[in-house]
Amino acid sequence: MGISFQEKSLWLSMVALIVSFGLYLIAVLPARSDFVLPSQAVLFALVVVLVVITQIAGNVVITIIDRRTETDERDRLIELMGARNGGYVLATGVFFALCTALVTPGNFAFTHLLLGFWVLAQLTEIGSQLFLYRRGA
Amino acid sequence: MGKSGGRITNEIRTLRFHRGEMTQQELADRIGVTRQTVNAIEGNKYSPSLEVAFRIARVFDVSLERVFRYSEPENSGKQRASAEDQAAGPIPLGTRPSARTE
Repeated sequence: MGISFQEKSLWLSMVALIVSFGLYLIAVLPARSDFVLPSQAVLFALVVVLVVITQIAGNVVITIIDRRTETDERDRLIELMGARNGGYVLATGVFFALCTALVTPGNFAFTHLLLGFWVLAQLTEIGSQLFLYRRGA
Repeated sequence: MGKSGGRITNEIRTLRFHRGEMTQQELADRIGVTRQTVNAIEGNKYSPSLEVAFRIARVFDVSLERVFRYSEPENSGKQRASAEDQAAGPIPLGTRPSARTE
């Protein structure tokens, strides 16, 4: 069974997220400040731009190679199931981030815990979809 | 993806064979889904919507029951008994709850 357009696009998103935000977190997390520094905010903006550009360029290339980009009811169902799983992780992250905001000074810990869980939620969503596609669901 | 415990099987592979070895891609194009979805349906890993099921039956020009079969789960004895009770006959007048709202 070959890899569909959707699966290729999901793999691209997953790699882009891991590489971009992985590099960002490696660069920023050793900092021991209470507040997010302006340089960190700029780096975050650059990472978001990098992710967007990678996704657009990658999807264009995949579309040119694959030529079959249509989706159907099964794709939509898998997308919904993935979004549900990602939603659970994000809700958990918001809860922990709020708890962190109550007990830690500044916005650094709160912001990065929230960001970390958002990335984890995205990876859960994508990973769930890839699992369902591979299982043949 | 069903959770009811019952199993839906199908005869799509056989029907494709009898239609001159129709490919999964041909069938997918005719019913408006992707080849991967046809593959998942054929492998009994995904139960299609009623609409897609009817479209598949129409492509092969057979009834829905000829394409798909539903087998009850092993422990559905109570459900079957309940269904048999209902099929046994109408509920006698007087024991039927009133639907009137006065």
